[in-house]
Amino acid sequence: MDYFILLTVSGISIGVIYGLIGMGYALIFKATSVVNFAQGEVMMLISYMAFSIASSWSLPFWSLLGVCVVLSGVVGLLIERIFIRPMLGQDVFSTVMVTIGMAVMIRAVVVLIWGADPMVLPTDIGDSGVEFGMVFLYTAQIYAIGFLAVCVFGMWAFLRFSRMGVAMRATAARETTALLMGINVTRVYALAWAIAAVIAGVSGVLLGTIYGLGPDMWTQGLRAFPAVILGGLDSVFGAAISGILIGVLENLSEGYIGHGLKEISGFLVILVVLMIRPYGLFGTPEIERV
Amino acid sequence: MLNVNNVQIVYDNVIEAVRDASLTVDEGQIVTLLGSNGAGKSTILKGISGVLYPEEGDIIGGTITLDGENMIGRKPDEIVRSGVVLVPEGRQLFEPLTVEENLMMGGITRNRSAAAEALEYVFSVFPRVKEKRGMIAGYLSGGEQQMVAIGRALMSRPRLLMLDEPSLGLAPQIIAEIFEAVTDLSKQSNVSVLLVEQNAELALSIASYGYIIENGRVVMDGTPAKLMNNEDVKEFYLGFSESGNRRNMRDVKHYKRRKRWLS
Ligand SMILES: Nc1ncnc2c1ncn2[C@@H]1O[C@H](COP(=O)(O)OP(=O)(O)OP(=O)(O)O)[C@@H](O)[C@H]1O
Ligand SMILES: [Mg+2]
Repeated sequence: MDYFILLTVSGISIGVIYGLIGMGYALIFKATSVVNFAQGEVMMLISYMAFSIASSWSLPFWSLLGVCVVLSGVVGLLIERIFIRPMLGQDVFSTVMVTIGMAVMIRAVVVLIWGADPMVLPTDIGDSGVEFGMVFLYTAQIYAIGFLAVCVFGMWAFLRFSRMGVAMRATAARETTALLMGINVTRVYALAWAIAAVIAGVSGVLLGTIYGLGPDMWTQGLRAFPAVILGGLDSVFGAAISGILIGVLENLSEGYIGHGLKEISGFLVILVVLMIRPYGLFGTPEIERV
Repeated sequence: MLNVNNVQIVYDNVIEAVRDASLTVDEGQIVTLLGSNGAGKSTILKGISGVLYPEEGDIIGGTITLDGENMIGRKPDEIVRSGVVLVPEGRQLFEPLTVEENLMMGGITRNRSAAAEALEYVFSVFPRVKEKRGMIAGYLSGGEQQMVAIGRALMSRPRLLMLDEPSLGLAPQIIAEIFEAVTDLSKQSNVSVLLVEQNAELALSIASYGYIIENGRVVMDGTPAKLMNNEDVKEFYLGFSESGNRRNMRDVKHYKRRKRWLS
Protein backbone atom coordinates (compact mmCIF):
# COMPACT_ATOMS: atom_id res chain seq x y z
CA MET A 1 0.00 0.00 0.00
CA ASP A 2 2.82 2.41 0.91
CA TYR A 3 4.50 1.50 -2.31
CA PHE A 4 1.29 2.22 -4.20
CA ILE A 5 0.93 5.64 -2.59
CA LEU A 6 4.54 6.45 -3.25
CA LEU A 7 4.21 5.53 -6.90
CA THR A 8 0.97 7.44 -7.21
CA VAL A 9 2.26 10.61 -5.63
CA SER A 10 5.46 10.71 -7.64
CA GLY A 11 3.34 9.89 -10.68
CA ILE A 12 1.15 12.87 -9.96
CA SER A 13 4.10 15.17 -9.57
CA ILE A 14 5.51 14.28 -13.00
CA GLY A 15 2.01 14.05 -14.44
CA VAL A 16 1.44 17.64 -13.47
CA ILE A 17 4.30 18.63 -15.77
CA TYR A 18 2.78 16.54 -18.58
CA GLY A 19 -0.51 18.24 -17.91
CA LEU A 20 1.05 21.68 -18.15
CA ILE A 21 2.89 20.94 -21.37
CA GLY A 22 -0.26 19.26 -22.68
CA MET A 23 -2.34 22.36 -21.97
CA GLY A 24 0.03 24.28 -24.20
CA TYR A 25 -0.37 21.77 -27.02
CA ALA A 26 -4.14 21.80 -26.65
CA LEU A 27 -4.46 25.57 -26.50
CA ILE A 28 -2.48 26.10 -29.69
CA PHE A 29 -4.28 23.27 -31.43
CA LYS A 30 -7.68 24.52 -30.37
CA ALA A 31 -7.06 28.07 -31.49
CA THR A 32 -5.00 27.46 -34.63
CA SER A 33 -5.41 23.75 -35.58
CA VAL A 34 -1.64 23.38 -35.46
CA VAL A 35 0.13 20.82 -33.28
CA ASN A 36 3.18 22.60 -31.96
CA PHE A 37 5.82 19.90 -31.71
CA ALA A 38 8.24 22.40 -30.20
CA GLN A 39 6.29 22.77 -26.96
CA GLY A 40 8.80 20.69 -24.98
CA GLU A 41 11.69 22.56 -26.57
CA VAL A 42 10.24 25.93 -25.61
CA MET A 43 10.05 24.63 -22.07
CA MET A 44 13.69 23.58 -22.25
CA LEU A 45 14.78 26.90 -23.75
CA ILE A 46 13.14 28.93 -21.00
CA SER A 47 14.56 26.77 -18.24
CA TYR A 48 18.07 27.28 -19.64
CA MET A 49 17.44 31.00 -19.87
CA ALA A 50 16.31 30.83 -16.27
CA PHE A 51 19.64 29.17 -15.49
CA SER A 52 21.56 32.09 -16.98
CA ILE A 53 19.44 34.62 -15.14
CA ALA A 54 19.62 32.76 -11.84
CA SER A 55 23.37 32.37 -12.02
CA SER A 56 23.96 36.02 -12.96
CA TRP A 57 21.69 37.59 -10.37
CA SER A 58 20.63 35.74 -7.29
CA LEU A 59 16.93 36.43 -7.59
CA PRO A 60 14.42 35.06 -5.13
CA PHE A 61 12.40 32.23 -6.71
CA TRP A 62 9.26 34.23 -7.30
CA SER A 63 11.11 37.06 -9.00
CA LEU A 64 12.90 34.56 -11.19
CA LEU A 65 9.56 33.04 -12.09
CA GLY A 66 8.13 36.47 -12.83
CA VAL A 67 11.02 37.30 -15.16
CA CYS A 68 10.58 33.95 -16.90
CA VAL A 69 6.86 34.53 -17.39
CA VAL A 70 7.59 37.75 -19.25
CA LEU A 71 10.49 36.18 -21.13
CA SER A 72 8.52 33.16 -22.27
CA GLY A 73 5.60 35.34 -23.32
CA VAL A 74 8.00 37.28 -25.53
CA VAL A 75 9.51 34.05 -26.87
CA GLY A 76 6.02 32.78 -27.70
CA LEU A 77 5.13 35.99 -29.52
CA LEU A 78 8.41 35.96 -31.44
CA ILE A 79 7.94 32.34 -32.51
CA GLU A 80 4.45 33.14 -33.73
CA ARG A 81 5.56 36.28 -35.55
CA ILE A 82 8.71 34.86 -37.15
CA PHE A 83 7.87 31.25 -37.90
CA ILE A 84 4.12 30.74 -37.75
CA ARG A 85 2.48 33.85 -39.15
CA PRO A 86 4.23 33.60 -42.52
CA MET A 87 2.67 30.14 -42.77
CA LEU A 88 -0.89 31.48 -42.50
CA GLY A 89 -2.91 30.29 -45.46
CA GLN A 90 -0.58 27.35 -46.06
CA ASP A 91 -1.94 23.98 -45.14
CA VAL A 92 -1.73 22.92 -41.52
CA PHE A 93 0.67 20.10 -42.30
CA SER A 94 3.34 22.52 -43.52
CA THR A 95 3.00 24.56 -40.36
CA VAL A 96 3.39 21.43 -38.26
CA MET A 97 6.57 20.66 -40.18
CA VAL A 98 7.79 24.15 -39.31
CA THR A 99 7.24 23.45 -35.61
CA ILE A 100 9.25 20.24 -35.95
CA GLY A 101 12.03 22.23 -37.58
CA MET A 102 11.80 24.76 -34.77
CA ALA A 103 12.08 21.97 -32.22
CA VAL A 104 15.28 20.62 -33.73
CA MET A 105 16.69 24.12 -33.98
CA ILE A 106 15.96 25.00 -30.36
CA ARG A 107 17.61 21.77 -29.17
CA ALA A 108 20.73 22.61 -31.17
CA VAL A 109 20.82 26.21 -29.99
CA VAL A 110 20.51 25.15 -26.35
CA VAL A 111 23.44 22.76 -26.65
CA LEU A 112 25.42 25.36 -28.58
CA ILE A 113 24.97 28.04 -25.92
CA TRP A 114 24.82 26.09 -22.68
CA GLY A 115 26.62 22.86 -23.55
CA ALA A 116 25.43 19.29 -23.22
CA ASP A 117 26.30 18.67 -19.58
CA PRO A 118 23.54 18.30 -17.01
CA MET A 119 23.26 21.35 -14.76
CA VAL A 120 21.51 22.39 -11.60
CA LEU A 121 19.10 25.29 -11.79
CA PRO A 122 20.20 27.37 -8.81
CA THR A 123 17.11 28.69 -7.05
CA ASP A 124 16.56 29.51 -3.41
CA ILE A 125 13.87 26.87 -2.98
CA GLY A 126 16.42 24.23 -4.12
CA ASP A 127 16.14 21.02 -2.09
CA SER A 128 13.55 22.25 0.38
CA GLY A 129 10.35 20.29 0.67
CA VAL A 130 7.62 18.89 2.82
CA GLU A 131 7.16 15.41 4.24
CA PHE A 132 3.65 13.98 3.89
CA GLY A 133 3.72 10.75 5.86
CA MET A 134 6.19 8.63 3.96
CA VAL A 135 6.13 10.78 0.84
CA PHE A 136 8.53 13.64 0.42
CA LEU A 137 7.65 16.40 -2.02
CA TYR A 138 10.03 19.13 -3.12
CA THR A 139 8.76 22.66 -2.82
CA ALA A 140 8.96 22.97 -6.60
CA GLN A 141 6.78 19.88 -6.96
CA ILE A 142 4.16 21.41 -4.72
CA TYR A 143 4.39 24.64 -6.71
CA ALA A 144 3.94 22.66 -9.93
CA ILE A 145 0.73 21.13 -8.61
CA GLY A 146 -0.44 24.57 -7.52
CA PHE A 147 0.53 26.08 -10.86
CA LEU A 148 -1.46 23.46 -12.76
CA ALA A 149 -4.48 24.25 -10.61
CA VAL A 150 -4.01 27.96 -11.27
CA CYS A 151 -3.64 27.36 -15.01
CA VAL A 152 -6.72 25.18 -15.21
CA PHE A 153 -8.83 27.65 -13.32
CA GLY A 154 -7.30 30.64 -15.09
CA MET A 155 -7.83 29.16 -18.55
CA TRP A 156 -11.37 28.20 -17.69
CA ALA A 157 -12.19 31.70 -16.53
CA PHE A 158 -10.38 33.25 -19.49
CA LEU A 159 -12.15 31.13 -22.10
CA ARG A 160 -15.52 31.50 -20.44
CA PHE A 161 -15.69 35.09 -19.30
CA SER A 162 -13.22 37.31 -21.13
CA ARG A 163 -14.07 38.67 -24.54
CA MET A 164 -10.67 37.65 -25.85
CA GLY A 165 -11.18 34.13 -24.49
CA VAL A 166 -14.60 33.79 -26.09
CA ALA A 167 -13.08 35.19 -29.29
CA MET A 168 -10.49 32.42 -29.10
CA ARG A 169 -13.22 29.78 -28.89
CA ALA A 170 -15.14 31.48 -31.68
CA THR A 171 -12.06 31.52 -33.90
CA ALA A 172 -11.48 27.86 -33.12
CA ALA A 173 -15.07 27.09 -34.14
CA ARG A 174 -15.21 29.12 -37.37
CA GLU A 175 -12.31 31.17 -38.47
CA THR A 176 -13.89 32.89 -41.47
CA THR A 177 -16.93 33.93 -39.49
CA ALA A 178 -14.66 35.20 -36.76
CA LEU A 179 -13.02 37.44 -39.35
CA LEU A 180 -16.44 38.54 -40.59
CA MET A 181 -17.45 39.65 -37.12
CA GLY A 182 -14.32 41.76 -36.86
CA ILE A 183 -12.40 39.49 -34.51
CA ASN A 184 -8.70 40.15 -34.86
CA VAL A 185 -7.78 36.55 -35.64
CA THR A 186 -4.06 37.28 -35.91
CA ARG A 187 -4.09 38.63 -32.39
CA VAL A 188 -6.01 35.60 -31.14
CA TYR A 189 -3.36 33.32 -32.64
CA ALA A 190 -0.50 35.34 -31.21
CA LEU A 191 -2.12 35.24 -27.79
CA ALA A 192 -2.55 31.46 -27.93
CA TRP A 193 1.15 31.04 -28.73
CA ALA A 194 2.13 33.44 -25.97
CA ILE A 195 0.00 31.73 -23.32
CA ALA A 196 1.24 28.30 -24.35
CA ALA A 197 4.83 29.52 -24.14
CA VAL A 198 4.26 31.01 -20.69
CA ILE A 199 2.83 27.74 -19.42
CA ALA A 200 5.76 25.88 -20.95
CA GLY A 201 8.23 28.38 -19.52
CA VAL A 202 6.95 28.15 -15.96
CA SER A 203 6.84 24.36 -16.20
CA GLY A 204 10.43 24.47 -17.43
CA VAL A 205 11.59 26.46 -14.43
CA LEU A 206 9.78 24.10 -12.05
CA LEU A 207 10.99 20.98 -13.85
CA GLY A 208 14.54 22.34 -13.89
CA THR A 209 14.40 23.07 -10.19
CA ILE A 210 13.18 19.56 -9.43
CA TYR A 211 15.24 17.41 -11.80
CA GLY A 212 17.99 19.74 -13.03
CA LEU A 213 18.71 20.75 -16.60
CA GLY A 214 19.91 18.53 -19.41
CA PRO A 215 19.90 18.48 -23.19
CA ASP A 216 17.23 15.78 -23.17
CA MET A 217 14.67 17.86 -21.27
CA TRP A 218 12.63 18.27 -24.44
CA THR A 219 11.65 14.60 -24.28
CA GLN A 220 9.19 15.59 -21.56
CA GLY A 221 7.29 17.29 -24.37
CA LEU A 222 7.09 14.00 -26.21
CA ARG A 223 6.09 12.17 -23.06
CA ALA A 224 3.30 14.68 -22.51
CA PHE A 225 1.92 14.02 -25.95
CA PRO A 226 -0.20 10.99 -25.01
CA ALA A 227 -1.83 13.24 -22.41
CA VAL A 228 -3.20 15.63 -25.02
CA ILE A 229 -4.32 12.85 -27.30
CA LEU A 230 -5.98 11.11 -24.39
CA GLY A 231 -7.67 14.29 -23.25
CA GLY A 232 -8.74 15.21 -26.76
CA LEU A 233 -6.42 17.45 -28.74
CA ASP A 234 -8.71 20.43 -28.43
CA SER A 235 -9.48 20.12 -24.75
CA VAL A 236 -7.26 22.28 -22.58
CA PHE A 237 -8.71 20.82 -19.38
CA GLY A 238 -8.67 17.30 -20.72
CA ALA A 239 -4.94 17.71 -21.25
CA ALA A 240 -4.43 18.76 -17.64
CA ILE A 241 -6.34 15.82 -16.19
CA SER A 242 -4.94 13.31 -18.66
CA GLY A 243 -1.44 14.54 -17.90
CA ILE A 244 -1.86 13.46 -14.31
CA LEU A 245 -3.47 10.18 -15.39
CA ILE A 246 -0.60 9.36 -17.71
CA GLY A 247 1.98 10.31 -15.09
CA VAL A 248 0.42 8.00 -12.52
CA LEU A 249 -0.08 5.24 -15.04
CA GLU A 250 3.54 5.37 -16.18
CA ASN A 251 4.74 5.10 -12.63
CA LEU A 252 2.40 2.30 -11.64
CA SER A 253 3.12 0.24 -14.73
CA GLU A 254 6.82 0.57 -14.17
CA GLY A 255 6.55 -0.10 -10.45
CA TYR A 256 4.36 -3.17 -10.71
CA ILE A 257 4.92 -4.65 -14.12
CA GLY A 258 8.39 -3.81 -15.13
CA HIS A 259 11.07 -1.49 -16.30
CA GLY A 260 10.76 -0.12 -19.81
CA LEU A 261 6.99 -0.01 -19.68
CA LYS A 262 7.13 3.57 -18.44
CA GLU A 263 8.07 4.88 -21.87
CA ILE A 264 5.30 3.12 -23.74
CA SER A 265 2.44 2.77 -21.30
CA GLY A 266 1.09 6.21 -22.15
CA PHE A 267 1.03 5.42 -25.83
CA LEU A 268 -0.58 2.05 -25.19
CA VAL A 269 -3.39 3.71 -23.29
CA ILE A 270 -4.13 6.21 -26.01
CA LEU A 271 -4.27 3.44 -28.57
CA VAL A 272 -7.02 1.78 -26.59
CA VAL A 273 -8.88 4.97 -25.70
CA LEU A 274 -8.86 6.30 -29.23
CA MET A 275 -10.46 3.12 -30.49
CA ILE A 276 -13.40 3.75 -28.20
CA ARG A 277 -13.50 7.56 -28.26
CA PRO A 278 -11.75 8.87 -31.36
CA TYR A 279 -11.91 12.48 -30.14
CA GLY A 280 -10.32 11.66 -26.76
CA LEU A 281 -11.81 11.60 -23.30
CA PHE A 282 -12.75 15.28 -23.21
CA GLY A 283 -12.51 16.39 -26.83
CA THR A 284 -15.51 17.77 -28.67
CA PRO A 285 -17.19 15.67 -31.29
CA GLU A 286 -18.73 17.87 -33.98
CA ILE A 287 -22.02 19.38 -32.96
CA GLU A 288 -24.60 18.14 -35.38
CA ARG A 289 -28.30 18.60 -35.36
CA VAL A 290 -30.28 15.85 -36.99
CA MET B 1 -23.96 55.00 -49.70
CA LEU B 2 -22.46 51.72 -50.98
CA ASN B 3 -21.23 51.71 -54.54
CA VAL B 4 -19.93 48.64 -56.31
CA ASN B 5 -18.52 49.50 -59.69
CA ASN B 6 -17.50 47.08 -62.46
CA VAL B 7 -16.07 44.71 -59.90
CA GLN B 8 -14.18 41.66 -61.08
CA ILE B 9 -13.25 38.83 -58.70
CA VAL B 10 -11.14 35.73 -59.25
CA TYR B 11 -10.38 32.71 -57.08
CA ASP B 12 -6.94 31.08 -57.21
CA ASN B 13 -5.90 33.69 -59.80
CA VAL B 14 -7.82 31.94 -62.56
CA ILE B 15 -11.42 31.13 -61.70
CA GLU B 16 -13.47 34.15 -62.68
CA ALA B 17 -16.37 34.16 -60.23
CA VAL B 18 -17.48 37.74 -60.80
CA ARG B 19 -16.83 39.32 -64.19
CA ASP B 20 -18.60 42.63 -64.07
CA ALA B 21 -20.81 43.64 -61.19
CA SER B 22 -22.12 47.09 -60.42
CA LEU B 23 -24.70 47.96 -57.83
CA THR B 24 -25.71 50.72 -55.49
CA VAL B 25 -27.38 50.68 -52.11
CA ASP B 26 -28.68 53.94 -50.72
CA GLU B 27 -29.41 54.99 -47.16
CA GLY B 28 -32.30 53.04 -45.63
CA GLN B 29 -32.96 51.13 -48.84
CA ILE B 30 -33.54 47.40 -49.24
CA VAL B 31 -31.79 46.20 -52.36
CA THR B 32 -31.90 42.64 -53.56
CA LEU B 33 -29.40 40.71 -55.61
CA LEU B 34 -30.93 37.74 -57.41
CA GLY B 35 -29.33 34.95 -59.35
CA SER B 36 -29.11 31.23 -59.68
CA ASN B 37 -26.56 28.90 -58.08
CA GLY B 38 -22.98 29.85 -58.75
CA ALA B 39 -23.87 33.22 -60.25
CA GLY B 40 -21.42 34.99 -57.95
CA LYS B 41 -23.74 36.51 -55.35
CA SER B 42 -21.92 35.29 -52.28
CA THR B 43 -18.60 36.18 -53.85
CA ILE B 44 -19.70 39.81 -54.23
CA LEU B 45 -20.77 39.98 -50.58
CA LYS B 46 -17.50 38.43 -49.43
CA GLY B 47 -15.66 40.94 -51.58
CA ILE B 48 -17.46 43.81 -49.90
CA SER B 49 -16.71 42.33 -46.46
CA GLY B 50 -13.03 41.80 -47.22
CA VAL B 51 -13.03 38.07 -46.54
CA LEU B 52 -12.03 36.72 -49.94
CA TYR B 53 -8.40 36.19 -49.02
CA PRO B 54 -8.87 33.10 -46.82
CA GLU B 55 -10.33 31.42 -49.92
CA GLU B 56 -7.60 32.70 -52.24
CA GLY B 57 -10.06 35.13 -53.78
CA ASP B 58 -9.04 38.54 -55.04
CA ILE B 59 -10.73 41.64 -56.42
CA ILE B 60 -8.81 42.34 -59.62
CA GLY B 61 -10.83 45.16 -61.05
CA GLY B 62 -13.40 47.83 -60.31
CA THR B 63 -14.12 49.84 -57.19
CA ILE B 64 -16.11 49.44 -54.00
CA THR B 65 -16.81 52.61 -52.07
CA LEU B 66 -18.78 53.51 -48.96
CA ASP B 67 -19.78 57.18 -48.93
CA GLY B 68 -17.13 57.72 -51.55
CA GLU B 69 -14.37 56.08 -49.54
CA ASN B 70 -12.50 53.10 -50.93
CA MET B 71 -13.31 49.77 -49.23
CA ILE B 72 -11.07 47.44 -51.20
CA GLY B 73 -8.03 46.26 -49.30
CA ARG B 74 -9.42 47.15 -45.89
CA LYS B 75 -9.27 44.56 -43.16
CA PRO B 76 -12.53 42.79 -42.25
CA ASP B 77 -12.63 44.37 -38.79
CA GLU B 78 -12.22 47.87 -40.26
CA ILE B 79 -15.09 47.14 -42.62
CA VAL B 80 -17.30 46.08 -39.71
CA ARG B 81 -16.29 49.24 -37.85
CA SER B 82 -17.24 51.33 -40.87
CA GLY B 83 -20.78 49.95 -40.54
CA VAL B 84 -20.96 47.16 -43.10
CA VAL B 85 -21.63 43.64 -41.88
CA LEU B 86 -22.48 40.33 -43.52
CA VAL B 87 -24.77 37.55 -42.34
CA PRO B 88 -23.14 34.69 -44.22
CA GLU B 89 -24.87 32.03 -46.25
CA GLY B 90 -25.82 29.04 -44.12
CA ARG B 91 -25.77 31.15 -40.94
CA GLN B 92 -22.32 30.01 -39.83
CA LEU B 93 -22.91 30.38 -36.12
CA PHE B 94 -20.17 29.56 -33.66
CA GLU B 95 -21.90 26.28 -32.82
CA PRO B 96 -20.12 25.35 -29.56
CA LEU B 97 -20.73 28.80 -28.09
CA THR B 98 -23.90 29.92 -26.37
CA VAL B 99 -26.33 32.24 -28.12
CA GLU B 100 -25.23 35.13 -25.94
CA GLU B 101 -21.55 34.43 -26.63
CA ASN B 102 -22.32 34.39 -30.35
CA LEU B 103 -23.95 37.78 -30.00
CA MET B 104 -21.03 39.05 -27.94
CA MET B 105 -18.71 38.18 -30.79
CA GLY B 106 -20.86 40.19 -33.18
CA GLY B 107 -20.20 43.17 -30.95
CA ILE B 108 -16.47 42.57 -30.58
CA THR B 109 -15.59 45.75 -32.47
CA ARG B 110 -17.47 47.89 -29.97
CA ASN B 111 -16.65 48.70 -26.38
CA ARG B 112 -18.26 46.82 -23.54
CA SER B 113 -21.05 49.24 -22.70
CA ALA B 114 -21.97 49.80 -26.36
CA ALA B 115 -22.06 46.03 -26.80
CA ALA B 116 -24.34 45.64 -23.78
CA GLU B 117 -26.69 48.24 -25.25
CA ALA B 118 -26.60 46.52 -28.62
CA LEU B 119 -27.53 43.26 -26.92
CA GLU B 120 -30.72 44.78 -25.57
CA TYR B 121 -31.43 46.16 -29.02
CA VAL B 122 -31.03 42.72 -30.61
CA PHE B 123 -33.29 41.19 -27.97
CA SER B 124 -35.92 43.79 -28.83
CA VAL B 125 -35.67 42.93 -32.53
CA PHE B 126 -35.77 39.17 -31.88
CA PRO B 127 -37.47 38.42 -28.54
CA ARG B 128 -37.09 34.71 -29.27
CA VAL B 129 -33.32 35.06 -29.22
CA LYS B 130 -33.52 36.43 -25.70
CA GLU B 131 -35.34 33.31 -24.55
CA LYS B 132 -32.55 31.14 -25.94
CA ARG B 133 -29.64 33.26 -24.80
CA GLY B 134 -28.08 30.58 -22.60
CA MET B 135 -28.39 27.74 -25.10
CA ILE B 136 -25.60 26.24 -27.17
CA ALA B 137 -26.12 27.79 -30.59
CA GLY B 138 -25.54 24.56 -32.50
CA TYR B 139 -28.64 23.01 -30.97
CA LEU B 140 -31.10 25.72 -32.02
CA SER B 141 -33.59 25.18 -34.82
CA GLY B 142 -32.76 26.55 -38.25
CA GLY B 143 -35.05 29.53 -37.86
CA GLU B 144 -33.68 30.40 -34.45
CA GLN B 145 -30.16 30.07 -35.80
CA GLN B 146 -30.96 32.51 -38.58
CA MET B 147 -32.28 34.99 -36.04
CA VAL B 148 -29.13 34.62 -33.98
CA ALA B 149 -27.02 35.08 -37.11
CA ILE B 150 -28.83 38.31 -37.99
CA GLY B 151 -28.78 39.40 -34.36
CA ARG B 152 -25.07 38.75 -34.17
CA ALA B 153 -24.50 40.99 -37.17
CA LEU B 154 -26.76 43.67 -35.66
CA MET B 155 -24.54 43.72 -32.58
CA SER B 156 -22.14 45.93 -34.52
CA ARG B 157 -25.04 48.38 -35.11
CA PRO B 158 -24.41 48.39 -38.87
CA ARG B 159 -25.55 50.99 -41.37
CA LEU B 160 -25.57 48.35 -44.07
CA LEU B 161 -26.69 44.82 -43.32
CA MET B 162 -25.89 42.23 -45.97
CA LEU B 163 -27.92 39.02 -45.87
CA ASP B 164 -26.87 35.97 -47.88
CA GLU B 165 -29.89 33.76 -48.52
CA PRO B 166 -31.55 34.16 -45.13
CA SER B 167 -34.54 32.07 -46.19
CA LEU B 168 -32.43 29.02 -47.03
CA GLY B 169 -34.03 25.87 -45.68
CA LEU B 170 -36.61 27.61 -43.50
CA ALA B 171 -40.35 27.15 -43.21
CA PRO B 172 -42.54 29.88 -44.77
CA GLN B 173 -43.77 31.03 -41.39
CA ILE B 174 -40.28 31.64 -40.02
CA ILE B 175 -39.23 33.27 -43.29
CA ALA B 176 -42.13 35.68 -42.98
CA GLU B 177 -41.12 36.51 -39.43
CA ILE B 178 -37.53 37.16 -40.41
CA PHE B 179 -38.41 39.23 -43.44
CA GLU B 180 -40.76 41.30 -41.35
CA ALA B 181 -37.97 42.00 -38.89
CA VAL B 182 -35.66 42.99 -41.73
CA THR B 183 -38.27 45.34 -43.19
CA ASP B 184 -38.75 46.93 -39.77
CA LEU B 185 -35.01 47.38 -39.42
CA SER B 186 -34.79 49.39 -42.58
CA LYS B 187 -37.92 51.40 -41.84
CA GLN B 188 -37.43 52.08 -38.15
CA SER B 189 -33.67 51.96 -37.60
CA ASN B 190 -32.75 53.25 -41.06
CA VAL B 191 -30.51 50.25 -41.69
CA SER B 192 -29.79 49.66 -45.36
CA VAL B 193 -30.09 46.09 -46.51
CA LEU B 194 -28.41 44.22 -49.33
CA LEU B 195 -30.36 41.01 -49.66
CA VAL B 196 -29.15 38.04 -51.66
CA GLU B 197 -31.89 35.55 -52.38
CA GLN B 198 -32.85 32.59 -54.52
CA ASN B 199 -36.44 33.21 -53.61
CA ALA B 200 -37.03 36.11 -55.99
CA GLU B 201 -40.68 36.60 -55.29
CA LEU B 202 -40.06 37.01 -51.61
CA ALA B 203 -37.07 39.29 -52.04
CA LEU B 204 -38.79 41.53 -54.55
CA SER B 205 -41.75 41.86 -52.22
CA ILE B 206 -39.71 43.79 -49.65
CA ALA B 207 -37.02 45.39 -51.82
CA SER B 208 -37.13 48.80 -53.41
CA TYR B 209 -34.61 47.89 -56.08
CA GLY B 210 -33.21 44.68 -57.53
CA TYR B 211 -30.27 43.40 -59.55
CA ILE B 212 -30.06 40.16 -61.45
CA ILE B 213 -26.74 38.45 -61.81
CA GLU B 214 -25.86 35.63 -64.18
CA ASN B 215 -22.46 33.99 -64.53
CA GLY B 216 -20.74 36.79 -62.69
CA ARG B 217 -22.39 39.63 -64.61
CA VAL B 218 -25.20 41.93 -63.55
CA VAL B 219 -27.51 41.48 -66.50
CA MET B 220 -30.54 43.44 -65.43
CA ASP B 221 -31.66 45.86 -62.75
CA GLY B 222 -34.72 47.85 -61.86
CA THR B 223 -37.59 48.34 -59.48
CA PRO B 224 -39.44 45.23 -58.30
CA ALA B 225 -42.36 46.20 -60.51
CA LYS B 226 -40.16 46.36 -63.58
CA LEU B 227 -38.36 43.13 -62.79
CA MET B 228 -41.52 41.26 -62.00
CA ASN B 229 -43.00 42.25 -65.32
CA ASN B 230 -39.99 41.14 -67.27
CA GLU B 231 -40.70 37.91 -69.15
CA ASP B 232 -37.28 36.39 -68.48
CA VAL B 233 -37.43 37.13 -64.79
CA LYS B 234 -40.92 35.73 -64.64
CA GLU B 235 -39.82 32.58 -66.27
CA PHE B 236 -36.50 31.87 -64.58
CA TYR B 237 -36.88 33.44 -61.17
CA LEU B 238 -40.56 33.53 -60.45
CA GLY B 239 -41.28 30.24 -62.14
CA PHE B 240 -44.03 31.42 -64.50
CA SER B 241 -44.12 31.19 -68.27
CA GLU B 242 -45.77 33.79 -70.48
CA SER B 243 -49.06 32.03 -70.17
CA GLY B 244 -48.82 32.13 -66.41
CA ASN B 245 -48.24 28.43 -65.85
CA ARG B 246 -45.42 27.10 -63.75
CA ARG B 247 -42.77 25.69 -66.02
CA ASN B 248 -40.17 23.05 -65.88
CA MET B 249 -36.89 24.81 -65.15
CA ARG B 250 -34.93 22.32 -67.17
CA ASP B 251 -36.67 23.44 -70.31
CA VAL B 252 -34.47 23.78 -73.39
CA LYS B 253 -35.78 27.24 -73.93
CA HIS B 254 -34.54 28.17 -70.53
CA TYR B 255 -31.03 27.42 -71.60
CA LYS B 256 -31.39 29.41 -74.81
CA ARG B 257 -32.74 32.47 -73.03
CA ARG B 258 -29.95 32.41 -70.58
CA LYS B 259 -27.47 32.28 -73.43
CA ARG B 260 -29.07 35.35 -74.92
CA TRP B 261 -28.52 37.26 -71.70
CA LEU B 262 -24.91 36.44 -71.65
CA SER B 263 -24.06 37.52 -75.16
N1 LIG C 1 -13.46 29.36 -52.67
C1 LIG C 1 -13.68 29.23 -53.98
N2 LIG C 1 -12.69 28.79 -54.80
C2 LIG C 1 -12.91 28.66 -56.12
N3 LIG C 1 -14.06 28.95 -56.73
C3 LIG C 1 -15.07 29.40 -55.99
C4 LIG C 1 -14.93 29.55 -54.57
N4 LIG C 1 -16.10 30.01 -54.08
C5 LIG C 1 -16.93 30.12 -55.14
N5 LIG C 1 -16.32 29.75 -56.28
C6 LIG C 1 -16.91 29.78 -57.62
O1 LIG C 1 -17.33 31.07 -57.91
C7 LIG C 1 -18.60 31.07 -58.54
C8 LIG C 1 -19.57 31.92 -57.77
O2 LIG C 1 -19.80 31.35 -56.50
P1 LIG C 1 -20.72 32.02 -55.41
O3 LIG C 1 -20.59 31.24 -54.16
O4 LIG C 1 -20.43 33.46 -55.35
O5 LIG C 1 -22.16 31.79 -56.06
P2 LIG C 1 -23.59 32.15 -55.49
O6 LIG C 1 -24.22 33.05 -56.46
O7 LIG C 1 -23.50 32.61 -54.10
O8 LIG C 1 -24.30 30.74 -55.56
P3 LIG C 1 -25.34 30.05 -54.53
O9 LIG C 1 -26.67 30.60 -54.84
O10 LIG C 1 -25.24 28.61 -54.86
O11 LIG C 1 -24.88 30.36 -53.15
C9 LIG C 1 -19.02 29.63 -58.64
O12 LIG C 1 -18.73 29.19 -59.95
C10 LIG C 1 -18.15 28.90 -57.67
O13 LIG C 1 -17.83 27.62 -58.12
MG1 LIG D 1 -24.08 31.93 -52.35
